[in-house]
Amino acid sequence: MGSTATHCPYCALQCGISLQAQPASEHEPLALSGRDFETNGGALCRKGYSAARLLAHPERLQSPLLRQPDGSFAPIGWEQALDLVARQVRDTRTAHGADAVAVFGAGGLTNEKAYQLGKFARLALGTSRIDYNGRFCMSSAAAGANRAFGLDRGLPFPLADLDRAAMILMLGSNVADTMPPFVRHLEGARASGGLVVVDPRRSATAKLCDGSGWHLQPTPATDLQLLLGLCHVLLAESLVDADYLARRTTGLAQLRSSVAAWWPERTEAVTGVPASQIRRTARELAAAAQAARSGADPVYILTGRGVEQHENGTDTVTAAINLALLLGLPGTRAGGYGTITGQGNGQGGREHGQKCDQLPGYRKITDPEHRAHVARVWGVDPEVIPGPGVPATELLHTLGTDDGARMLLVHGSNPALSSPDASQVIAGLRRLDFLVVADFFLSETAAEAHLVLPVLQWAEEEGTMTNLEGRVLRRRAALQPPPQARDELWIFAELARRLDAPGTFSSDPREVFEELRRASAGGLADYSGIDWEDLDAGAAVYWPCPRGTRITGTRSGTPRLFLNRFAHPDGKARLTAVHATAQIHRPGRLSLVTGRLLEHYQSGTQTRRVEELAAAAPEARLEIHPATALAYGIAEGQRVQLDNERGRVIARAALSTDIRLDTVFLPFHFPGGNNANVLTETLVDPSSAMPEFKHTTVSLHPLEER
Amino acid sequence: MKHTERIVIIGFGPVAASLIEGLLPGVSAGTIELSVISAEPELAYNRVLLAEVAVGAAAAEHLNMVDGQRLREAGVKLHLGVTATGVDRSRRRVHLAGAAPLAYDRLVFATGARPVIPSLNGLNFDPHAESALPAGVLALRTLQDAHDLQQILSRRGRVLVLGGGILGIEAALAMAQAGHQPVLVHHGPAPLGRVVDADGGRLLIGSLQAAGVEVVSGVKATGIHTAQGFTGLATDTHGIIAGDGLLISTGVRARTELAASCGLETNRGIRTNKYLAADTEHRVFALGDCAEVDGHPPVGLLAPGWAQASWLAGFLLNHRAPRPDGPSRPIPADLPAPVFDTSDVLMLKGQGLEVTAAGDTSGGLFDQDKQVVVYADPANGRYLRLVTRDAVPKGFVAMGLPRTAAELVLAYERGTALPKDASTLLRLDDPADQSPAVAPGPGDQLCRCSGATYGEVEHAVESGCTTVTEVGESCRAGTGCGGCKATIEQMLNKLPVPA
Repeated sequence: MGSTATHCPYCALQCGISLQAQPASEHEPLALSGRDFETNGGALCRKGYSAARLLAHPERLQSPLLRQPDGSFAPIGWEQALDLVARQVRDTRTAHGADAVAVFGAGGLTNEKAYQLGKFARLALGTSRIDYNGRFCMSSAAAGANRAFGLDRGLPFPLADLDRAAMILMLGSNVADTMPPFVRHLEGARASGGLVVVDPRRSATAKLCDGSGWHLQPTPATDLQLLLGLCHVLLAESLVDADYLARRTTGLAQLRSSVAAWWPERTEAVTGVPASQIRRTARELAAAAQAARSGADPVYILTGRGVEQHENGTDTVTAAINLALLLGLPGTRAGGYGTITGQGNGQGGREHGQKCDQLPGYRKITDPEHRAHVARVWGVDPEVIPGPGVPATELLHTLGTDDGARMLLVHGSNPALSSPDASQVIAGLRRLDFLVVADFFLSETAAEAHLVLPVLQWAEEEGTMTNLEGRVLRRRAALQPPPQARDELWIFAELARRLDAPGTFSSDPREVFEELRRASAGGLADYSGIDWEDLDAGAAVYWPCPRGTRITGTRSGTPRLFLNRFAHPDGKARLTAVHATAQIHRPGRLSLVTGRLLEHYQSGTQTRRVEELAAAAPEARLEIHPATALAYGIAEGQRVQLDNERGRVIARAALSTDIRLDTVFLPFHFPGGNNANVLTETLVDPSSAMPEFKHTTVSLHPLEER
Repeated sequence: MKHTERIVIIGFGPVAASLIEGLLPGVSAGTIELSVISAEPELAYNRVLLAEVAVGAAAAEHLNMVDGQRLREAGVKLHLGVTATGVDRSRRRVHLAGAAPLAYDRLVFATGARPVIPSLNGLNFDPHAESALPAGVLALRTLQDAHDLQQILSRRGRVLVLGGGILGIEAALAMAQAGHQPVLVHHGPAPLGRVVDADGGRLLIGSLQAAGVEVVSGVKATGIHTAQGFTGLATDTHGIIAGDGLLISTGVRARTELAASCGLETNRGIRTNKYLAADTEHRVFALGDCAEVDGHPPVGLLAPGWAQASWLAGFLLNHRAPRPDGPSRPIPADLPAPVFDTSDVLMLKGQGLEVTAAGDTSGGLFDQDKQVVVYADPANGRYLRLVTRDAVPKGFVAMGLPRTAAELVLAYERGTALPKDASTLLRLDDPADQSPAVAPGPGDQLCRCSGATYGEVEHAVESGCTTVTEVGESCRAGTGCGGCKATIEQMLNKLPVPA
């Protein structure tokens, strides 16, 4: 048997993986190894290495499950399941209108499934209410990049461009835990002593700065102020690239006055980052950028969820982009700005129409021309396509209320665990008339469902994914799925037929990809020139890739965006003045930040079922500074109760001097009384509707029993 | 029908700029006709950076806090270089020098403060007028002052800085950093005498001297000597201290004369209630450095002024002016007043010298009602004096401890408790590696990405692996992020493994 070249099921790095058709262990029907691909160079992390152990996992869902009157689940056949869904959709629609049926998608779905899910919602269900968990990941970065550049592609350059960097400023990203092979791309900057990490924790990534750069440790939720302070120094000390700003940007005058108030000492008083470190960082960035413009190694500014998942996330991203623009980096060979996309298809998943306000190819659902184009491809009247829906947090928090949906279909996501103020979301799921969840394990969300549909895993399906650099990849099947598991494309087609949907719904991934190409043609994320067979041959194709683009043996499509012009009509990037509002601090409370562990991925539905990973990180541990712990009378390993207005979490303390004195950390992979998102805020960013995941305040109480 | 209200702001400093920004929506919507009167010809600028401008470290244009074109396009009427000479409150007009009076429905005083000119022979020290200072004598308050200082420095002049406060020190440091030879002249035993204790003061003097600032302490100045410009400072204590320029930095005083002349109450500033209203009719307001709000004298810092500006903009937008002949309307009792930032944190701006101080640092080591912590390492330029009550910082001075100071500022401003052991904070400035030097055992994780332990790698090496790649194939160590490759190589070479 030959081997199958595919990609890891987890994060947006999409590490190359080879699958050999030979059982590796009882529940591991394939032998998995790292494959030499540009993002990972053959390396994998623990999550990737153990991914095949989920394929034949004993908890794998084997048939559709219907909730019984006694609360238990009973297996049923697919005909019965699909008929039931169709009947529930019709009944709900008749009783409450089409928007009473909602859809929640995911950034882990293949491009084809994401595309088809958007089409299915608009045409088969006729609902405007579709959004996805990417709203919780990439929406602020997307809004910021769209505002500045007129286009959002996570990294507007190949990841490998980072390898040569002289300096990298990385804000709110802990790649050493979340996507370890990424660290290989930081080696160049580390060797030049130019890795600068901004994080309230001395994270595994921040530790990479030891002797190789420096770590800035602001108090949580002051990233925007820190960036304003950095911009201030560049402007006040005339360290900006004036020629670039004049040629390639607009908005400098307003930006200048907006940062005048953020001199380093004032910034220090708000952020806790010493003024001297702010000056040093700005000056070293400027010196490196100037050298890069003269041909030396490039300089990059990267953001992650740590600075983006805030109620001012879009403005924070804008401030990071402003910094990059002042340095003259974006759209040049001297470096650039990028956001590190998180979910496996977090990039492709945000391009093809599962966002409440978008149609495929990054088209706007409110633009008549965009609607007309997509309607032509779908073979329907544009009038049939509903208008914009509501973003994820609103969609989830209104479930079962007068303003919300009565029925929900969930694909590839676990919002019962991953949503802000998760208790409210669970309450919403329980208010629903009918909840359908498609998953391959009984996730915490599936456990709330009326009907669970077993679907395929990564190694059982064909399709395409778009990684964090906008490169389109082939996901390949190496294994027959369990007999009763079904491809979601087939489910959509079957339901569409039962619902007499207009248009056609293919269940063949390649046919759906061909349709996606046509639907995206002429859009910002144009896939029309990307050929399935070229992808099969391993071509490195980056969107936009309009029809007729020559696909070569090297990088094709648009590996580097903006080299000639930005995507705004005038070709220029926008500097946008953003403003920070005063922090309200609550005495007696500590700041809580949330994040991920190396061992687990997102809501842990998969990784918590891998024995090796669960053993290494079995529960949420509360990271707390020993001095803070001492003040609260908390010992190592002691159970601690965290409370705020929204709920309560109990976790064991892990003492560490890596965290600030005023801050505690919880990972968000764990369910029930361990779920960090029971405490997180429902405030959302006014531009992106990103929830405030990364900062809330809590009170701590040590519990007596150990 | 839309009623347009006329609002006049006297003054165009950073606080006025912030107020204008807040009122822009009303101006754009046509509900407010906004006029701004500024005696200086420039748009609002950031005075914090004037010393940097004087020494050429920052360009004047970078001080700009507003985009004049944008304000004008929005409809704001800017009267720059125009002096307000009087206010007629019964006719609601502001009289201008050399221009027609401006009518208002509501008026805002944002006249700021002017430098205090000490009473020295040879200086006009009228506290209620803009001083006409002799050539070579200046206070660093305006762009013109910065320009004048630049002229003196460009002739390689020796500049005396009179006053041991934060602004004087910063100006002296900026000059020293630019290669000039400033002299800091002050009374008292050490600069920053109000917040820095005796030991800290000694250390501060040493640090200033190391940074290139000559410090002359305990000076009682009596007058100035001039000969076609400043030549020296006469003192009772040190004879004549020669210099080519004198930068006066002895504090500021609110500009209240215009308000006083139209019958408003003044004290340390224009007196207002907590809603910033200076009259009973709520037609005239004052904020920023010219205002004594609800009994609090102005503190001379920007943040409180900005908080007031933000609040006042919202108030003016949402509460229309009283009608000309109607009774004044009381402000609703439940209206939240602006929150005052009463912070008195001093942070010395300048490279190489990191001094931060706040609050009351008085008290002895053995006082019962407070806890006093002192850490002194003069050889390394480090000093901390910290006073806490119930673990909450009440005052501190920190030198040469940037991270400790930054954390203390946050805790002081937020009123949060500090660790019981203050050395926890000091460790933030420990230049040494923070990881504990404990030798790893066989069960400890070596490779984070794969979870491989030291024992597993050791086993791989003992089983015959000779390269990192082979070790990776054997136990997956080093095959993730690659961060532990160096450690594996050391184990392959049988070197002792560092913690």
